[in-house]
This record gives sequence, C-alpha cells and structure tokens, in this order.
Amino acid sequence: MSGLQPLYDVKERLEYAAIAGTGLLGEDFRLQRAAENLKPLAAASPVFAKIDGGLTRLLSAPPEQRPGLLLDLLALVDAVAYTQAGTGMEGELAPLPVGSGRYCQISYGQIQPLLAALTTTGGGRVETVQSAWDNHPEFFQDYRVLPAVIGGLGDSYGEMAELCAKLLKTLGPSVVPALRRGFDPDGKKEMARRVEVIAAIEGAGATPWLREALPEAKKDVRAAVITALGADQDNAGLLLDLSKSERGKSRETVLRALALLDGEAVADFWRAEVEKRPENVEFLKTSRTDWASDLAAASLRSLLEEALPREGRNTQITREGLNALTECRAAVLGKTSAAMLDCWRWIDQQLPAFRQVTSAPGLHFHLAGSLGEWLLASLCQAGPGPLCSLCLELWEKHPKEPRYLPHAVAASLLTRSAAEVYDTFSPFVPTAKPLLGGEQKKELHNAVLKGLSRVSRDEDTGAYLVDGVWPAAQPLDPRWIKRLVHAAWRTPEGGGSAYRYGEAISGFDTILMRLADQRDPETRRELVPYLRQRMRLLGNYQTYSRWLFQLGGSPGGVLGEAMKKGKPAYLYYIWELLNDAAKALPGDEVAGLCREVLDAKWIRPTGNELFLANQALPWTIEQLRAGKPFPAWEDWWRMRK
Amino acid sequence: MPLTEQSILLLAPNPAAAENGRKLSQKGSYSGRRRTAGGDLYWAECAGSGKNPYRVSADFAAGGDPVCRCSCPSRQFPCKHALGLLFEVLGQKPFETAEAPQDIAEKRARQAARAAKKESGAPAKPKKPNAAAQKKKLDKQLAGLDMAERMVSELLTAGVGALAGSSAQTYEKLARDLGSSYLTGLQTSFSRIALTVRTVQRDPGRAQAAYGEALRVLIALHSTIKKARVFLQRKLEEGAYSAEDTVLFEALGGVWKLEDLRAAGAFRENARLVQLSFDVSYDEAKKEFCERGWWLDTASGQIDQTLNLRPAKALKYVKGDDSRFDLLEIPVLCTYPGEGNRRVRWDSANSRPITAQEQAALPALAQPDLAAAVKLVKGQIKNTLLPKYMAVMAPIGRIGMAGDVFVLEDPKGGRIVLRDRAEDGADHASTARLAALPEAVPEGSALFGMMFYDGADRTICLHPYSVVTPRRVIRLLY
Repeated sequence: MSGLQPLYDVKERLEYAAIAGTGLLGEDFRLQRAAENLKPLAAASPVFAKIDGGLTRLLSAPPEQRPGLLLDLLALVDAVAYTQAGTGMEGELAPLPVGSGRYCQISYGQIQPLLAALTTTGGGRVETVQSAWDNHPEFFQDYRVLPAVIGGLGDSYGEMAELCAKLLKTLGPSVVPALRRGFDPDGKKEMARRVEVIAAIEGAGATPWLREALPEAKKDVRAAVITALGADQDNAGLLLDLSKSERGKSRETVLRALALLDGEAVADFWRAEVEKRPENVEFLKTSRTDWASDLAAASLRSLLEEALPREGRNTQITREGLNALTECRAAVLGKTSAAMLDCWRWIDQQLPAFRQVTSAPGLHFHLAGSLGEWLLASLCQAGPGPLCSLCLELWEKHPKEPRYLPHAVAASLLTRSAAEVYDTFSPFVPTAKPLLGGEQKKELHNAVLKGLSRVSRDEDTGAYLVDGVWPAAQPLDPRWIKRLVHAAWRTPEGGGSAYRYGEAISGFDTILMRLADQRDPETRRELVPYLRQRMRLLGNYQTYSRWLFQLGGSPGGVLGEAMKKGKPAYLYYIWELLNDAAKALPGDEVAGLCREVLDAKWIRPTGNELFLANQALPWTIEQLRAGKPFPAWEDWWRMRK
Repeated sequence: MPLTEQSILLLAPNPAAAENGRKLSQKGSYSGRRRTAGGDLYWAECAGSGKNPYRVSADFAAGGDPVCRCSCPSRQFPCKHALGLLFEVLGQKPFETAEAPQDIAEKRARQAARAAKKESGAPAKPKKPNAAAQKKKLDKQLAGLDMAERMVSELLTAGVGALAGSSAQTYEKLARDLGSSYLTGLQTSFSRIALTVRTVQRDPGRAQAAYGEALRVLIALHSTIKKARVFLQRKLEEGAYSAEDTVLFEALGGVWKLEDLRAAGAFRENARLVQLSFDVSYDEAKKEFCERGWWLDTASGQIDQTLNLRPAKALKYVKGDDSRFDLLEIPVLCTYPGEGNRRVRWDSANSRPITAQEQAALPALAQPDLAAAVKLVKGQIKNTLLPKYMAVMAPIGRIGMAGDVFVLEDPKGGRIVLRDRAEDGADHASTARLAALPEAVPEGSALFGMMFYDGADRTICLHPYSVVTPRRVIRLLY
C-alpha cells in the first residue's frame, strides 16, 4: 500500500459523497474512517493538515454550507493528488520496430477525409479515396495512411475493399512487409485479400511465404493461398497433392489453381478428373493450353453426340443436359487447339441433325442456334488467331447462309483491312429494298449487323474494339456509316440500350452510334438529319436528343412532335434534357427547345408539374434570351404552388 | 509568398471548395488564360453550368495571399473557380502575357487608394465604454453567479448521482439563462452537466465515468463562481469596465479582440513560429468544432496554441484552419491571458520554408528533462481554472516498450508512460503509431505531446503528438 493511500481514500470518499449527496455526509462512516487515517500524514505535512482541517470543517458544517466546502476540499485534494502523481515505468525497454512506408507532409484537410473514408462507413468514401489517389498517390505510402489502406481490405463495402487491393497492388513491393506484418492465417476477408495482393505483387516470388502460411490458413484465407499458389508452375506438385486431401469448396479452389498450370502431370490429372467428373471441365475455362482445349473439345463432342437423334427418333435436351452443356461451354470459349477447330467443323457437318433436337418444355433452348452463338462468343474471346480462319472457312463454305456471316464479319474486322471488310460485307446491307428474295436478304443484313454489334469505338483512343478487348486490324471504314444510314432495313429493332427514361431504343441505331466517329464532320453531316428523322418517327426523344447533342446537332423542330409519341413527361426529366442541351447548344437554341416543350403541352398533369412547367419555361426563355445561364432545378422548383 | 498546393488549401474556405477547384482545373474548364508581364495578375475564363463562362482572376500585387475575383454568384470566398485558377498557375499551364484588363486595373487602383488612406489616416479613437450599460451588465453577471451557485449547491445536496433522475432540460434552461446574464463560460459548464444527464439516461453503463466528469465540471464551476464574484465586485466598486489580462475574463465568457490584447500589452513582436501539430475536436456542449494548432516559438521554446472555433451551425461560413508546415514570421503576435500554452493570434504573417539549420535547432528547445516538464505540468493542472493537460516538448533518450506499454526515457534516464488521453477520443489515437514510424528516431530528437494526469493509475503520462527530429517534424497526428 502506498504511503499516500490515506489521501486517495479521502479523495474517493469525498467523490462518493458528492455523488451520493451532502445530505448523507454525516452518516458516511467510511469518510470518517478515511479522515482518521489521514491524521498521521496531517501531522507530518502542512498540506495534509490543511486537508484534515477541511474535513473537520466539512463534517461539522451546517447542511447548507456543505456543498461549497465539499467542492473546495475536493479541489484541494485533487491538487495534492496531481502534485503527488508518479511518472515512469520500471523494467527493460524493448526498442521499437521500424515500420513501413514513409512520412509525408500531409495537412489535416487532406489526410483526415482520406483516413475517415478508409476507416469509417457511409457514402462517398470510394470517390474520396479514388480522388486522393488520382491527385496524390504518394499519400498512400505515408505511414499513417498505409495501415488504413491495408485495413480497408476488410471493408464491409466490397467496392472499397477492391479499391484498396488495387491501390496496394499498384504501390508494389514496398507495401509487402506491411501486409505480412500482423497477417493472421485464421482471419477473414481482409487477410484473404492480403494474400491476393501479396501474390499479385510478388507472383511466383510469394511461393515460400504462401507455402509457410498454408498449414495454418483457414476458410477464405486458405482459398486465397491455394489460388495464389496457382501462379507458380513449381507448385504443381503441391496442388496435385492438395487435390487429393482437400474437400468441397477448398478442392474447387485447388482445381481453379491447377487450371492455371501446365505440364504433363497437370494434364494427366485433368484427363483423369474430367473422365471421372465431366462437369469439372468448367474449371478449365481459364486455361489456354492445348490439352485443356482438347479436353473441352472432347467433352463438348461427347455431350453433343449424346444429343444427336438416334434410330430415327429425335432427342430432347433436358435441364440436366442443358446444365452440362452450359458448364462445358465455359471451358470451350476462347479455346483454339486443332481438336477444337475439328470439333467446330464436325458440329457444322451435324447441323441438320442438331436442328432436329428439341428441348424440354419451358427450357426455350435451341441447340443449333446456340452452338452458332457459342462459336461467335468463342471467337470474340480468343481474338485474332486460328478461330478467325475457321470462321471465315465455315462462312466461305456456306456463303449464302446467314449462319456464319456474323462470325465472318467479326473475324474479318480482326484480321483484314478496313476496305476489304467493307467491300466484302457491305453488299449484304442493301440501301434499297430488293424486289426479290427480300426476307432472305434481310436475314443476311441482320447477320452483318450482328457481327458489327460486337464492335465499338473507344472515344478516348479512337480505336475500334471487338467485345471491348481486341483491337480491329484497322479503324472501321467510314463508308459504313453512310451505308447504314441509308440501309434498306433498320433492323434489329430491339436490343438497344434502354435509356434510364424507360425508352426502348432501336438496336440498329445503337449499333450505328457505337460505330460512329462522333467528331468526324462527315459522319456528323450524315447522322444529324438521320437521327432527327428517327426521333420524329419513333419518339424516344431523351435518347435521340442526347445523341444529337453529342454530334453537335439539335432536336429543335422535332422535339415537340417526338414528345407526343410517348407518355406525358416528368418535368424534372425535361429539365435534365434542357440542362444537357444548354451545355451543348447556344442559349437561343435552348430557348427555342423550351418553347417547343411548352407548346407541346405534354407534361404530366399531376402533382402541379404542369403548373410549374407553365411558370418555369417562359421564365427560362426570358433568362436565356437575356444571356443568362440555364437555371438550376431549384430555381424551377421554387416556382411551384 | 510562393504559391504551393498547401497555400491554396489554406486559402480555400473548406476542403471541398479546393477539391472542386482542382477538378475544374483537371477537366480543362479554363480558357483564355492570361497573365501580366510581371506575373502579379492571372486571369482566365472558366466554363460553368451556364452558357457564358465566369471571368476569374488572382491578383498577387499586394503580396501575401492573392486577391481572388470571380463573376460567379457563389457566396464562398474564394470560390472554386478562383481556386481552380490557382491550381492552373501551380500546374504551370500556359498563360499568355497581356495587359491587365481595365476593370481589374480599376479595382486595384481603388484598393490601393483605400490602403493608402488607411495608412495615412489618424489612429481610431479608443471607444469610450458606456459606464451605465457596463454597470448593468456587471449587476446581471453577479445575479447570474448567485443563480449558478444555488444550482451547484442544490445539485451537491441531492448528489451528482441524482442527475440520472433529473431532466436535462432543467440544466439547459439554466445554461440559457446564464448566457443571457453574459456568463457564457458558466453556460457551457451547465450545458456539460445537461450532457451528463443525457449520457447517463441513454447509457447507464457509463454513469460512473459521467459522474466523475460532471464532478470535475462542478469543482471548476464552484471555483470560478467564487473567484468571479470577487473579480466582478471589485470591477463594480472601482468602475473599471475594460477587458483585463486575466483568465477569469475568458472563463466568464469574455471575448478578446486583437486591439484589446494589444492595448493590454499582451503581445510579442517579431515572433517566429513553427507548427508542431494540428488537430480538430468537437465540443458537444458548445456545439462547435475547435481547430487547434500547436506552435513552437523558435526563439524562446514557448509552446503556444491557436484556436479556430467553428460553430457547427455556421460551419460553412467560418473559414477552416489547417496544418502548416512552413515557418511563420509574425510582426505582432497577440497572446491571451493565462499560463502554460497560451492562446495566440495574429493578423498578418509571412510564411517561408524552415531552413535545415532552424529545423536542426528545434529539438534543443525542449524542456531540459522530463522532471522539469512534469513539474511545469503539475504547476498548471492543480489550478482549477486551467486545463488538466499541458503541451510540452521533452528530450528523447530512447523510446521503447516495457511489456506492452510505450515509454519515453529522457537522456538523464527519467521515464514517462506514453499513452493516448482518453478524453481526446479515438481520432486522436497516436501512441501506437510510434511503433509504425518509418525510420528510427535519431539522436538529439524530442517528443512533443500532451502531458496529463491519468486518474486510473495516478500517474502523469504523455500523449505523443509529434516527433521533432533535427531533420524534420514527424507528425503522429496531423
């Protein structure tokens, strides 16, 4: 017991008395005992004597004076306790470790929002972190920020956790020590993502650490470790062993990792695996090896052979059969081995038979048609290579049929000159309706459009990409735009991207806009009148107007008419449209659009919207004509009843 | 003053405005960029939501912070367009050289004329206080003190534990009444007690801690009331109504103006300050954010603080403060009454990067040893009217861990436990960051932080805020 214990006892009893009320002071025998115990100290020191005197006065004071005396005494006791306080700590001092990262001069205004975004919850956090990264990537190396980014790997908002993982991968090897420090193989998502990040940074170099972590790793972390082991061919033996010991989901992870590897032993394993469990061929979807391609081809052929009509009787695809085909499809896409090419040739030979195959009621699965789609998807996944040649070969074998025409268009775009593609396929898109064989020619037109639908122009780079990945051999021949604008058919009609205003957009026009170089003056000259005409015909003014804005055109003169093709408009949507117009067009033109909207009288009559439109639109016209900016929605909203 | 990202951020009314300005610059919203040949005026057009772009300029002619002008209707100053223009300048975007536009030249001339008039004009006459009004105010304050004392007495008689069964509104009303009696300091104390009531009623598990906090408030309140009564009665008797150089003036809710501080002789001349740390806290009782900077006087080693108080209700309209990394040269540094870390303010300062030599000299300004620092702190915290913590800089012998406790040992072997001060909240947690420092602490460094009394083990501890090395100040907080 400390020599000052009587002082602390008195302090405690006085605090208790303050909480219990001074009315009970006289009955507090513990306080009196504490006061007694203080006497020896009081005899030894004047300051304790002062406390002792204060206690005596407090205990003998009339009730109305006690609160003041108690607070005076507590102030004194506190002051003495402060002056008597000890410092320090005995014992051996272990030196501090040196951490990761570095120190950056980051102001409170910069670091606090970043740390809050990384460590708390709520909206807008991803934007904050992304913006900080865009402007100051060096902040993320700061020794205060780096642990928060690592902690962010466990964020309950998946997008934030993914962003943290992406940033850490970009920061590179310098963050690996921090990721390894405090790593818990028995942990949850954060630890699993740590493994993923370390593996992404170090690749095969992470193998020793992964092998060390594996025995202790549980659940998510174990799956991540096993997946990461797939990055190093040297781990094939270990993964093959794991394929024998792991069960359930964990074994599936092993299979996914093994699918990333090559080698005779791995190939043998997969041959045995697929033979034993044909459905596991699906795991080979990530493999680009020839043996995996051969296995996928064999699986597909085996399933299709089963589906072939037998003994003069048609077969039917069941739900189980469809599931097996779907699993196999995943493995087939993008595969290009000779066996796979042969498989597609065999499928082509068997097409008449496959056309006879039906599906169980409710499945709506057409085998022959689906196989054609799969080949197109496989081609677009594989990019330039043997599948292109195969597709062109199959099309040349059936030049008058639409079946392989989309494939041929896509394959040609990937491998041939723009002019050659145009010269070869534009005749299938006639600009006048033929007098004979219209339906057949329309099918060919649709097939070419289907091929073109896989292509889009990247506005940033100007490149034409097949399925957003593979660059076309050359930029699209600009003659296509004129050809399509004057095409005899505007099909496909559906399938376009439905704008958020509930407009079902023409698939044909969507393809056209995705192909157009919107900055090219010639393209603009072709497209602006065309889109105005389409808008007048179809309505869908929200989408067509915005396309026109992109091309520097205006929907003026057709907007009112187009509006009336649909339901009466929400005024807020009209404001959004006009606001977008104000960003692209001169004020007078926007004022004209406002007038057209007003004259159309096609605003929802409910909820005061019509009243508000009749107030806001004339006012806005005046504002615009006076050279003022287009008003904010709040300015309109203030005019409501 | 050279334009830096930091200076733009400090100029911005809030971080969002600066960020929006940066985005405008990044997305290429500026056109027609021009500058004068001397580089003291930059102007451009910035695309807004309307058809016509805003005309925006940044004028560096006066030295110090640039004068920003913009034709946009924003009430924030400087607006995002002006801040974006500064980012354009900082990013060294191409500016064509041209003559200053007529309208800006005229504004500059008017501004120069105003400045000249101010310079040459006679000093403003000191305001004569209205004695009758001041006497009435003192009477009201004394009546308020009586009211507060009665309440404290009643509360102690019934016991602080009775707060759980009382109504927070009673104390809130009393707080308002005290505010009406010009006793805003006491008003805050009763607002804190009202907060205790709400805390205990919401979370009975926190009752003991809350009662302890309320008791500390009552002790300080009682002491303030006693001293204030003597202080106010003396003023009343002497008819002395001006502000006085005493902490009581502020404890009662008095507000200092810079000219009052200068008149009271509370200032230092030609001070040079370096910021050691910066933090922000929210005071629930006052409903305001307190942005606090800790500054080291490079001549005396004195540690002062700046407080930028931003009421939550008016957050948008009060400019925020931020960390500063440059050295400030301040012609007149006004100091508030008090002891220990005194509050300081200034109306003009020149900022420049700290030199390597100046930086190397900073750790030597620490207290000679821990014992001296602890003595200083004990001297302050035993005063009921002063905070129960004090910012100090102590020399580092070594920092290490005894078990799982962080410990600072000074070169003489004195030790102190390093620990976060619980009252500061989780966002001030910094002790653990010592183990994450990216470099070993070099010899001859010092540790800056908040020294406080921890009742849990009755020791004086240090909450570390920054490591001051001969090369740089490594901030553990902000």
